[in-house]
Amino acid sequence: MRNLSRIIRVLTASGFAIVMFFPLYTNFIGGFKTNGQLLSDPFGLPTPFTFEPFQTILGRSGEFWTFFYNSVVIAAVTILLTLFCSMAAGVALSRISFKGRTLLFNFFVMGLLFPLTVAILPLYLQLRNFGLLGTRAGVILAETAFALPLSIFIFTGFFKDIPWELQDAVAMDGGGVITFALRVILPISAPVMTTVTIISLIMSWNQFLLPLVVLSNEQTFTIPLGVMQYQGQFTTGWNYIMAFITISIIPMALFYLFLQKYIVAGLTAGATKG
Amino acid sequence: MGRKESRTGNLRNTLLALVLLSPALLLFLLFVVIPVVQAGYYSAFEWNGMGPATQFHGAKNFVRMFGDRIFRTALLNTLEVVAVSLVVQLPLAFFFALLVGRRKTPGEFTFRSIYFFPYVLAEIVTGIIWKFIYHPRFGLPTVLARLVTGSQMEIGLLGDPNLAFSAILVVVVWKYIGFHMILYIAGLQGVPKELEDAAVVDGATNSQVIWNVIIPSIRNTIIISAFLAVIGSFNIFDVVWALGQGGPVHSTETLVTYLYNFGFRRFAFGYGSAVAVVIFALCFVFNLFYQRYIVGGQRNA
Repeated sequence: MRNLSRIIRVLTASGFAIVMFFPLYTNFIGGFKTNGQLLSDPFGLPTPFTFEPFQTILGRSGEFWTFFYNSVVIAAVTILLTLFCSMAAGVALSRISFKGRTLLFNFFVMGLLFPLTVAILPLYLQLRNFGLLGTRAGVILAETAFALPLSIFIFTGFFKDIPWELQDAVAMDGGGVITFALRVILPISAPVMTTVTIISLIMSWNQFLLPLVVLSNEQTFTIPLGVMQYQGQFTTGWNYIMAFITISIIPMALFYLFLQKYIVAGLTAGATKG
Repeated sequence: MGRKESRTGNLRNTLLALVLLSPALLLFLLFVVIPVVQAGYYSAFEWNGMGPATQFHGAKNFVRMFGDRIFRTALLNTLEVVAVSLVVQLPLAFFFALLVGRRKTPGEFTFRSIYFFPYVLAEIVTGIIWKFIYHPRFGLPTVLARLVTGSQMEIGLLGDPNLAFSAILVVVVWKYIGFHMILYIAGLQGVPKELEDAAVVDGATNSQVIWNVIIPSIRNTIIISAFLAVIGSFNIFDVVWALGQGGPVHSTETLVTYLYNFGFRRFAFGYGSAVAVVIFALCFVFNLFYQRYIVGGQRNA
């Protein structure tokens, strides 16, 4: 009986796995076909394998590397800026008492209610006013701003649980809040920094609407924008599009594979903010 | 907050706090708060985004919006995403979690990774992958139909206004199901094993254990996942955009594609802002409802 139920479970799980994986399978093998082969036999295995689409995308065209570079720069600076701003704010909101602290905290948390879509039109005008339209900096600043409510919420919650005795001990040695932040808070914040980094990275790496609105020059395009425009070119073969997609998936797939534990923790933390 | 309110709240402290808060505050005000407030303000104007907004329109934008057949399609489609997420996606994700999240099936890690993988993809990439799967000449429905009937027919789901949005809903479920499964698996790990065992000893059937032990124990997780699914549905854009930019003939518009198509592309910033206000109102009302009736009804949410 027990074995039978195990077999049924494996079969059911496999059935769903085939359905779930099929679109990805189609895409992964498609990059190893010639376009003619792909269109005459879209779902069969490639015979023979060709690496030409991958070679073209990684080599000659160079577009991919531009998009990749832009995505990396935008994500990296967004993450650093988010960490810096929200940790500084978190320290102020959790370790210093001043009038209006709770009010300010609630003000930031209220930002969780505003999806990017709601603000996108005026945001565009705002970036235009600052001369940031068409620049990576515009994307970075806006992405950071929208990442702040959640990360400030996470950091403040984490920091305020640090025992006050520790802060008093630093104060005895003549150190202020800044010394305390650098000597005590920073070294123990690695886990929560990882969480915020993961959330910001996923958000930034996959972000489409904001770069779509802000960026206009192909030289500044990120991967999602680049892949959209690449598949829109009439002359592009589907095998090239699929190879392009496969390559663009690899960094994220590796990231998930190696950091799975932290990612699940990060996603759950992001989700349980309530 | 407020653990040691007795601590001296002197001027020096306040200044230091403000210095530390200023980068975050500056970005937040400039790029979140002000634009959101502006969206509310512009929604009462007819304005192309150039020069000052002077043509006051009152509630005309909203009247026009709700009188627009395309807007109503967009609203209905968006609500359809909400419904399918709640009624199809979440139960299926829960089923996946039961199947591969309780150390009862060999190869759970592999299955879990496969189910989760679509969530890793950028939405836009997801859309493009499925654009090929649905391709009228080379796609899966066409290939299957030809196999079965032997004829040279073509099935273009995305080109058919009656079917295109259903085809998109399939992609939405496929894309986000793994995320909710992961939430449920995390929740399942908190279900006391003894409780489950005790129920089995008492002769409870599998479905009784699920309904009476597991579901009540992960109630919080279910509430959170439903909340995220609803808010995410209100804001759905990328996948829809990649699969047809709201077309054919506006049959797959959602609120955000409508905002983009009718606000950005036509430089109707007042009208687009009015659409944004509707999206915000939906999120806000839902959030109030959620806080009041769902989270409010229990502790430890």
